[in-house]
Amino acid sequence: MPPKAFKGEYIETDTGNKISRRAQIHGTQRIILGGKTVIQTDAVIRGDLYRSSSSHASSDDPAGAAPSPSVAITVGRYSYISKQAILRPPSRLHRGMHSYYPLKIGDHVFVGERAVVEAASVGNHVHVGKEAVIGGMAILKDFAVVLDGAVVPAGMVVPSWCVVGGRPARIVGEVGEGYGVEGADGGLARERYRLVGK
Amino acid sequence: MSRPFPYTYISCPCADTPVPDPARKRRSREFPQKANPDAPGTDEKGTITEDEEEEQTFDPRSPRSNFSLYPPEQLLYCEDCHQIKCPRCITEEIVCWYCPNCLFETPSSMVRSEGNRCARNCFNCPICTAPLSVSTLENVTGNGSQQGPWVLSCGYCMWTTLDIGIKFDKPTNIRTQLSKMADSTSRGRQMSRSLGDLKSPLSNYASVDEQFSATEDGGPDQPTEPLGADARFAALKGFYRNQIAETSTSPNDPLGTDFAGGFASPGALNRIMSLYNSSSRLSSLYNKKPKSKPPVMREALTASEGLKIPVPGAEDAVVRRMASDECGWDGVASIEQRSFQPPDARFADDLLPLPVLLRTKRSKRCKSCKHILVKPEFKPQSTRFRIRLIALSYIPLATLRPLTISPPQPGYPTTAPTVPNLDSLPPLKPVQLLLTLKNHMFDPVRVTLATPSVTPGRVDTKVTILCPQLDVGANSDVWDEALQGTAPGEQRSSRSGAMGIGYEKVAEAGKVWDKGRNWTTVAIEVVPGTLPGSGRRASRANNDFNDSDNDDDDDSVDEKDLDWSGQSKDPNEKLQPDEDVLEIPIFVRMEWDSENQIEQPVSKSSDTVKRELAYWMVLGVGRISPDLEG
Repeated sequence: MPPKAFKGEYIETDTGNKISRRAQIHGTQRIILGGKTVIQTDAVIRGDLYRSSSSHASSDDPAGAAPSPSVAITVGRYSYISKQAILRPPSRLHRGMHSYYPLKIGDHVFVGERAVVEAASVGNHVHVGKEAVIGGMAILKDFAVVLDGAVVPAGMVVPSWCVVGGRPARIVGEVGEGYGVEGADGGLARERYRLVGK
Repeated sequence: MSRPFPYTYISCPCADTPVPDPARKRRSREFPQKANPDAPGTDEKGTITEDEEEEQTFDPRSPRSNFSLYPPEQLLYCEDCHQIKCPRCITEEIVCWYCPNCLFETPSSMVRSEGNRCARNCFNCPICTAPLSVSTLENVTGNGSQQGPWVLSCGYCMWTTLDIGIKFDKPTNIRTQLSKMADSTSRGRQMSRSLGDLKSPLSNYASVDEQFSATEDGGPDQPTEPLGADARFAALKGFYRNQIAETSTSPNDPLGTDFAGGFASPGALNRIMSLYNSSSRLSSLYNKKPKSKPPVMREALTASEGLKIPVPGAEDAVVRRMASDECGWDGVASIEQRSFQPPDARFADDLLPLPVLLRTKRSKRCKSCKHILVKPEFKPQSTRFRIRLIALSYIPLATLRPLTISPPQPGYPTTAPTVPNLDSLPPLKPVQLLLTLKNHMFDPVRVTLATPSVTPGRVDTKVTILCPQLDVGANSDVWDEALQGTAPGEQRSSRSGAMGIGYEKVAEAGKVWDKGRNWTTVAIEVVPGTLPGSGRRASRANNDFNDSDNDDDDDSVDEKDLDWSGQSKDPNEKLQPDEDVLEIPIFVRMEWDSENQIEQPVSKSSDTVKRELAYWMVLGVGRISPDLEG
């Protein structure tokens, strides 16, 4: 069901991203959207939290350091950031320095309403339920499902095809082999994109 | 019911077959649509029972339905049996074991010897089960030498191994470090030794000795050294193995061999099978006098054999500690926490970090014909499959979405179509739904839909499928869709625009709503029934069950007597849980001509064979609101 759209709620970019005018996006130059990604109203995307490589000389050697305009958040194609969701790059203390790490989100990812994502990487076809919290530096592999209201602890790895839920989240099941097939559960990203702003 | 509306479930017919009979399955493979060809030779009888079966409509509320309804993406399809296969009609074989935390594969030989837990650095918090991370104690800023002691810390509940007094010398191979420490810890607790004696060969044990003071006061003085939990288990296991090997009379004693073989389940089965054989030990015991006196097994006698005699007064010490102020509620380990710990662990201080349980990737086979249905790639991180026969690529994918409230209400402005709120459907107001069937096969399919005109259960919802027979085109070529652009989307959007402007498109009986290359949409009209308890139903006498505990104050509400779901014993008008959920059972029968396969040479035409498949599908439409004014 499409949201109640008034005229031009969404800005559509050249690559087909549909971004709500009322989304709060900080540090846009450090955010990469893969195209056809939807960002809904009041979503918060913190592209301003990036690793300041120039502040410390030794911190740009590791492999995680991006090229000069370091990217804070990468989002793939057909991903969907629901209302009031928060995307925030993860951070941790590394050698006494508090530094941010890039947040990578794959294709066909759904982030539910009021979810908070601080993962290090989110794979393709991942479903994050509403009001779920993904802790810092967590890794969600492809086809992972985070149930509504789950709290994925910091640093947790959710393997592919696994369903996690609870606080703290544990693996509670697996999705079927057909998960993510176009049009079925987990494969509705294109349909979802199509209905936005209509 | 956990899914958001609207949803689709598909019923696997295996729930109706009482016993998985391989012979029956083999026969039904030859006649895939004969639901019950049980009596060979009496064909008419068989068809009669089949007809009787088909007379029954599927009730999504019956308790049995819980076991047969699956979301479509969980279903597989066996190309050999031509049947839908649910997780109950398959067998699984483990392809590989991997740790869900580090995603490394563990070879199965190691799983057999070491147990199914990650042997690396992956641990779960014993308090909250969140994963633990290895972190250093020395927060050396800048200075690169992080040689400090290491601990496991939980990022969720902030538990660290320091709470139980464990530090690690190096950040790798923590499992072995921990197992050494665990042995020495329990030894230390029981022997109440000094700290210097406790030091493991790695000399990395830093005990916080005050914690154990409560349990230590009744210190035993056993001559032999008590073992840790793991070592004691190993000792007991070895002891019993020796006992059985010694007491077994003959080398082919089933009990002895299979125990020595490590409780392998085929061996155990073998023992059960040969329990009453003449060669078995039991029968030889009872039938003829044993030639030799049957050797007697004994239990463990010494601590080195795994015997553990609790310290006198240990229970009292535990109770006293539980009652003491410094322990409190949080100091006592909960049952969930203890269930993964050694049996002696009673307090939160005794809980050790849990190595992460391994997970498996599994291939799946059809239970009846043993064909492989799913075979994933071996690597744990790979999400691809070598074989994946999912039902979604055979049966049409059904999606349901609501149409606007129809017929056009005079009060509504026509520009803003009112989409019915599926979470509270007003009773007795017709709702139109669009059911789209999308074909994933390369052959066009002819689909027949059937539904009982009134849904089963106490809530009478009238359902009308306006076009029960439809054709769905073939999923011919992916390039067609690409060349046509986003044809389905455009059509759909123009349709929604059209219905927004005026109700030009009115669902007509006998006509499909819309049609695309490989999909067809039909309209379904639904009149939700009134819930019991919401009153104003055509009054029906309810003679039987109005006496006992009719405690709700709702008066003059009558309940329908006829109840298909077996819930009619419920005397009051209260809703059963989820009784207000509107679920429509639909019988789907699909026919198509598929290319002939090599193994079936007999068919009337040379290269195609007619196939059909039928199953029950349940559409979860929404929730009916209790009040009549929706």
